[in-house]
Amino acid sequence: MTTHARPRAIAGGLLDRPMIWLLALFGIAEAVISYRFLAGIGSVSNMNDGYTWGIWEPVNVVVFTGIGAGAYSVGLLCYLLNRGKYHPLIRPAVLLAAIAYSLGGASIVVALGRPWNMYLLALPPLWNLSSVLLEVAVCVVAYVCVLWIELLPAVFDDAAGSASRVRSAWGKRWGGRLAKAMPYVIALAMLLPTMHQSSLGGLMIVAGPKLHPLWHTTLLPLLALVSCMSMGLGAVVVLTAVMKHTWSARHDNELLADMSKVNGLLLLLFVALRLGDIAFQGKLHLLAVPDFYLMVFVLELALFLFPAFLFLTRRVQQNRARVLGALLTVVGCSLWRIDAFLTCYNAGESWSYWPSLGEIAVTVGMAAFGVAVFIAVSKIFPVVEVGDPAAIRAGHEADLRSLRTRPATPPGTSNPSRPRSPR
Amino acid sequence: MLVSRRLLLQGAAVAGASTVLPGKAQARGKVEPLEEAVGMLYDSTHCVGCGGCVAACKEANGLPWDEPTDLSNTTRSIVKTRRLAVPLRNGEASAFVKRQCMHCVDPSCVSVCMLGALHKEGQGKRDMGGERKGTGIVLYDEDLCLGCRYCQIACAFAIPRFEWREAFPHIVKCELCRKRADPTREGALGVANPACCQVCPAGALVYGRRVDLLAEARRRMAAEPARYNGKIFGEKDGGGTQALYLAAAGVTFKELGFPDLPDGSYANASESASHAPYLNGVAPIALYAVAAYLVRRNKKAQEGAERPEEPRK
Ligand code: SF4
Ligand code: SF4
Ligand code: SF4
Repeated sequence: MTTHARPRAIAGGLLDRPMIWLLALFGIAEAVISYRFLAGIGSVSNMNDGYTWGIWEPVNVVVFTGIGAGAYSVGLLCYLLNRGKYHPLIRPAVLLAAIAYSLGGASIVVALGRPWNMYLLALPPLWNLSSVLLEVAVCVVAYVCVLWIELLPAVFDDAAGSASRVRSAWGKRWGGRLAKAMPYVIALAMLLPTMHQSSLGGLMIVAGPKLHPLWHTTLLPLLALVSCMSMGLGAVVVLTAVMKHTWSARHDNELLADMSKVNGLLLLLFVALRLGDIAFQGKLHLLAVPDFYLMVFVLELALFLFPAFLFLTRRVQQNRARVLGALLTVVGCSLWRIDAFLTCYNAGESWSYWPSLGEIAVTVGMAAFGVAVFIAVSKIFPVVEVGDPAAIRAGHEADLRSLRTRPATPPGTSNPSRPRSPR
Repeated sequence: MLVSRRLLLQGAAVAGASTVLPGKAQARGKVEPLEEAVGMLYDSTHCVGCGGCVAACKEANGLPWDEPTDLSNTTRSIVKTRRLAVPLRNGEASAFVKRQCMHCVDPSCVSVCMLGALHKEGQGKRDMGGERKGTGIVLYDEDLCLGCRYCQIACAFAIPRFEWREAFPHIVKCELCRKRADPTREGALGVANPACCQVCPAGALVYGRRVDLLAEARRRMAAEPARYNGKIFGEKDGGGTQALYLAAAGVTFKELGFPDLPDGSYANASESASHAPYLNGVAPIALYAVAAYLVRRNKKAQEGAERPEEPRK
């Protein structure tokens, strides 16, 4: 599959109808957030002293960053394990990660009760190094910076290819400089998620008796790390499928099949670790108690095992099963994360919780904004590869060529093999 | 391509390098109670449920009287009536229990607090003024609090409360009335002076040094062995607490609303599991070095092979 494909900016206007919808959703979230800063978190949410993180932390931070882990897992494959063929997936994955992590960070600011004290986090002498959350916070902030730096080559490439000679020279010069530093940046991009994704899982160890024993284990950091890899690979497959449909982006079946096989093994590894741990800790008897928790547990297992089956079975290697599997992987890993932080967490008898409309509006609005930014950046900068033959036929060049060759086409003959237009 | 064994091995090595190590690294160790630690002893068998301590606490902390039924952002102390599964011999079908911060020996809330807003007196990142080391009182410093509410997740006793309806909210919890201390006095009253203990008319609530309170609890149990259930809650539970509890024979602390805690603290368990893999910072640095080397090598090779036409230097 050698190819001369290069990432390029997606054609099309920025402010189309979907974009307006996405921004409208974000607008609602913004309104809720503004009100929250005036009247307190309790005024827009159902969070209480028992369910103090509501859905903002478990979903906006823990799930969003899990989805963003695609940059980490694809990066591991591509750079550390030297599978260069994954290279085309890197830029979209990094963009997805940069957005997801930035939104996670922004959500923390919204969720913090006293965010004006946040500047103190820049003062290491004040750090309580025992705090797992401190480590997550510092590490995530650093990683967000790393991710946006990882995207800079797209900006320089764009400049380098520009018609203006000054801009092009600027892009080439800085692009070259950055290229030299890049391995060290990428190495950071491999290290930081290893640290904070495992620490994210580690956050709930201290909750001890408040977390259901089927979820509470000292293995939480390792489970969170493995699940973020799965989730990230799944998210990248889903993203690729969506981009193929909407933008006719490059879509290498064989590559995605290989990646999904890796993911299948990761999913099995997760299940093996989890079940092994439960058995090792003598908690197997809990699996004989037919209650709500067992139901959730079985649902989670199914959402890990079924995609693994899809990924690893030769016969269901077609694209559709793979995308379904990837989607289920993301759902399954998200579910496990939400369960460990919220569903199967119980601070005591006196509390109950269901997210308020305001909380949901913020979560949905943040996600919508993320999608909007992804579209906008992909349309301005060369991030997505639309280089395989089918896409080229479908893309601009095809239009040009068909214009040029129109006289040769017998009048009245439409071209039935012409793929859908790229928008 | 089938996933090769090498790929798997490499993957396992890279992914696991920093997290599989916890087995090798040691735990941070148990925290022992401070010698001069102060706390309170609550004897449920003597409590008459008058709620005087609750009112005194409100007054001492300048909080409004709002007929509290549980701890809240305006209530740092509460007396609850707990229904018992089996009535006691004297026919009592319920028991009282006073709840407030336990001033844990190795508190989860302190372990998790990012900048040490919650900290043991004199052992934090910053002196709030007149802090004395050694009392073990868990204090709250609003100027270092980000309002992350991790303390609420962490506290096994579900003690810290948050001001949900405030634009500038605080964490609210008992600070053992440190501010009511009389510095001219010797001993425990020189470091704190809980209003709740001061007003108790029934001898159910006593303030003092933890060692003295433990001795008092043992004395009471020895004098009337049939009266008590034989356990001092807080002596070891969850790594130990500075608020200690006695309960009537036939009553379990679980019935009184306490969690079932192992003798070790969750702060220790969590910190060890989360930090041990770092091997005091060696692991991340080593990992980074290996990653940088591999990335540099692989990236160069990939760019050379895949994009010969690319004008990259
Ligand atoms: S009872 Fe809770 S709030 Fe009080 S010291 Fe212990 S962990 Fe902290
Ligand atoms: S809410 Fe404040 S006191 Fe509680 S853990 Fe966060 S920073 Fe510390
Ligand atoms: S020590 Fe003070 S703040 Fe704590 S419960 Fe007693 S009166 Fe309230």
